[in-house]
Amino acid sequence: MFKLNLKIALRNLWKNKGFSLINIGGLAIGLTCSLMLLLYVNYEWSFDKQLKNFDKIYLAKLNLKFNGNIATTGAVPYKLTGAVMEEIPGIKRASRFYVHHGSKLFSKGENKFKLKSLYVDPSFIQILRYNFLYGNEGSALSKPNSLILTASTAKKLFGTENPIGKSVKWDNLKELQVTGVIEDLPKNQSIQFEILQPWAFFEQIDSSVKTSGWGSIDCAALFELKDNASVEQINGLLKNFVVNKEPELKSYIYEPFLFPLSKIHLYSQFENGKVVGGGIDQVKLFAFLALCVLLVACINYMNLSTARSEKRAREVGVRKALGSSRQTIMGQFILESLMLSLFSMMIAFALVEVSLPYFNNLLAVTIEINYSSYLFWTVIIGLILITGLLAGSYPAFYLSSFIPVKVLKGFKGSIGTLSFRRALVVLQFSLSVCMIISAIVVYNQIQFLKNRPLGFDQNNMVQLDLEGAFKDPSKTEIFKKELLQAGAIVAASEFASPFTEGGTITGDVSWPGKPATDRSIINYRSTGFAFTNTIGAKVLAGRDFSPQFSADTNTSVLLNESAVKLMNLKKPVGTIIHWDNEPLKIVGVIQDYFSERLGKIGEPTLFYYNVKTSGVLLLRLNPNQSLTTSIEQIKRSTQKFNSAYPAEITFVSEGMQTKLQSERLLSILSNVFGGFAIFISCLGLLGLALYMAEQRSKEISIRKVLGAGLSDILVLLNKDFMKLVVIANVIAIPIAYILMTNWLKKYDYKIDVNYLPFLLAVVASILIALLTVSLQTFKVAKANAVDALKYE
Amino acid sequence: MIKIENLEKVYKTEEIETTALNGINLHVKEGEFVSIMGPSGCGKSTLLNVMGLLDKPESGSYKFVDTELLTLNDRERSNFRKRNMGFVFQNFNLIDELTVFENIELPLIYNKVPATERKKLVNEIIGRMNIVNRSGHFPQQLSGGQQQRVAVARALVTKPKLVLADEPTGNLDSTHGNEVMELLCELNETGTTIVMVTHSSHDASFSNRIINLKDGHVISEKINKGRTEELI
Repeated sequence: MFKLNLKIALRNLWKNKGFSLINIGGLAIGLTCSLMLLLYVNYEWSFDKQLKNFDKIYLAKLNLKFNGNIATTGAVPYKLTGAVMEEIPGIKRASRFYVHHGSKLFSKGENKFKLKSLYVDPSFIQILRYNFLYGNEGSALSKPNSLILTASTAKKLFGTENPIGKSVKWDNLKELQVTGVIEDLPKNQSIQFEILQPWAFFEQIDSSVKTSGWGSIDCAALFELKDNASVEQINGLLKNFVVNKEPELKSYIYEPFLFPLSKIHLYSQFENGKVVGGGIDQVKLFAFLALCVLLVACINYMNLSTARSEKRAREVGVRKALGSSRQTIMGQFILESLMLSLFSMMIAFALVEVSLPYFNNLLAVTIEINYSSYLFWTVIIGLILITGLLAGSYPAFYLSSFIPVKVLKGFKGSIGTLSFRRALVVLQFSLSVCMIISAIVVYNQIQFLKNRPLGFDQNNMVQLDLEGAFKDPSKTEIFKKELLQAGAIVAASEFASPFTEGGTITGDVSWPGKPATDRSIINYRSTGFAFTNTIGAKVLAGRDFSPQFSADTNTSVLLNESAVKLMNLKKPVGTIIHWDNEPLKIVGVIQDYFSERLGKIGEPTLFYYNVKTSGVLLLRLNPNQSLTTSIEQIKRSTQKFNSAYPAEITFVSEGMQTKLQSERLLSILSNVFGGFAIFISCLGLLGLALYMAEQRSKEISIRKVLGAGLSDILVLLNKDFMKLVVIANVIAIPIAYILMTNWLKKYDYKIDVNYLPFLLAVVASILIALLTVSLQTFKVAKANAVDALKYE
Repeated sequence: MIKIENLEKVYKTEEIETTALNGINLHVKEGEFVSIMGPSGCGKSTLLNVMGLLDKPESGSYKFVDTELLTLNDRERSNFRKRNMGFVFQNFNLIDELTVFENIELPLIYNKVPATERKKLVNEIIGRMNIVNRSGHFPQQLSGGQQQRVAVARALVTKPKLVLADEPTGNLDSTHGNEVMELLCELNETGTTIVMVTHSSHDASFSNRIINLKDGHVISEKINKGRTEELI
């Protein structure tokens, strides 16, 4: 029986090549989309879960009062881990780790690289259990001048030789010794580095590390719990841990707690000290999208299969008349759809493999198919079965329900099935329209954020790290002069840290009229002279720092607009404010600029002159000279002044590009997969059009005999479909509206959701549907009327 | 009124060619009632379809009054058909989704007759056909005979010059069949030309002239004396 069923199934697929093509094609595209999305979801989900003991590892977080809200940060006091290990039970290991802004120079002879290193306690490598290629966990971080390299870092510095015991020069200052090499870190791990260095080394180079108090939060902390420990209990003890030691911090709340490392990647958004989401929202969205696309594809199959039912009805009738049971016939159709879904999966598989590199490139991720994973094959087989059963169930039930006598005498589809199938098409189109609208709104919002004035000029602006010789401000000064004279730049200024990344904050600023309970936190950034000229920001009042005023180097500050607003200063310029009890005079107000985050309102920021603590040099390139000439000149001068370091010049505009990464991702995915969903839906509509045309061919012929013209028939047939599409739009529009207004909530600066995206979606869906349906109805309307009437 | 000369029609499938009409000559006078008879596959339905402009022959001439119809294009054929011809089919071919009234109204809509006039015309014919109490029903709620009356009503509502009937009693029992035939006779008596395809010599006996077809040829023609005399 099975063999016979298989034979019929195969012959049927072959006989109706066009139909099989539409069907397999639709399913394959649907499966490709959902596979791709599921791979992406899995990639995001797998973050930090490759660690064997990941459920025991926690990161410390700290709730802080921050300008009226509770902010949650990953930075904690240096002293936290030591004190917690001593006083709170249930913790097996703890380690601090310190992450630099930017990278440090590591050199081996002529091999010079700026690398990302972490300072960590020795227990760090025991908690995260890296695989050592050379050296071992126990001793690799025992001496202050030890170094652990990742495999690719070792290869960069040493080539193929064994680096153990060899020395590497750090920041062109100190010789350090390689004591371990570990396997490269998987991309889906949150804590990324190229080099590990012991905490003891950090204490050697920065004397303030040892003496730093509870009030300063500078490092991250990792905890591994004992097997029987309860994290709730520990968090209960941690709550007042710091404020018990330093009661005056109470006004800042200052509550540390442990948060699972495996959740860090997807749950990064905190509100009022509680986790509210983060990347997980996007992952859920994509998982939902995957389901929707698959559903749309399955609906398609159901529609197309039942559309063909009239042609299969005779077969069913004959088989039933010959004594076949309903189960056998159902088995037949299920087998057919399983076979189709198997074929589709094979095609989808090939499509995924082919398009994965582009997908990775587009989203800047490294997804690959792990062929040895049981999960992967389970999902694949599961998808085949689910798709096959889901898609085949309705046709199987429907087709096997035919009563043989009726079928053999001549078949008429029942009205009931038609309305079910109509509902399916409405569902399909609602999903598609929702996706079109969302894609347009997301795109508009991205364009809006992109085109919003940043408050500074990101073009023609580069930065380089102040390191090595440039640690000496006088040398930097000569360097700047040389570039100015050469015409490479028109302005330059030191700045605290990389311009597009975050920076330091303080709660120690007071101003006239500040309420005693005010615990405002203010950003502070060090700059050099001519800061506003260099970044191209507007001075709203007063002036920029200038060498003409000797006070500027120690008692002058600039505020931004938001800081003035926060302090409620009527006449800011000339006002004296205090920072760490030192009086400072406001000499100018800068318009808010947005280099760190986009779409958010400005944060109060204070600028002070200090070239010694500044980490980068910002350069405004000469707009009248070609970019490459200027960059070449800067590189040459950098090499001359600071030959020990590679000349790494970064464009500020490139840093700004990365700011909209997740929005870009959302836009790409909703565009691409929304597009596919629409395409598949059109196939579905084509299916229904086929069905309807077949169903109504007699009626159409009668009408033609009675004198209906081509246009009469086209209107008659299209009217029905347009009704469905209009209903789909009516359902989709409010849903899309709610979804999109919710999504936009997270932006302080956002577009108004107007009627345009909706109008566009309505028009597009109607046009597409009209085209698809007309393709089929035109054929029927043109057909010879007698043919349909003859074979009754 | 109708002059058909040398009509040829060949059906082609991948493997076989079937000659359905093989040089047919036929003249029908205005007001005549002609029956076409013959065994299955003799081409009688094809001939009727060609006369109804539903099918195109390969060659020959088909003149209606003085208009050559075979050179018309699709739109012209369709226009000519809806102004001049009415059809009655064996299986009624009513549209299931439309009521009796709507079914009858349909050809008037396609002839762009104004709504008030349509109503008048449909009600008039419904009265004549004796199906007044059925006008709001759907075809499936009617008996076969009633359905065929509706079909006849629909064919007549535009007052066509020519009514083409394809085995109008084929799906009916003899009582209902006779009713329909009497209806056609009445119609013929008011001056409408009728061409009918039938298997039944009983039905054919209602007509003025009987044409026998075989293998696409006219093999005999018989004047139905009784009817003709009656007509005279």
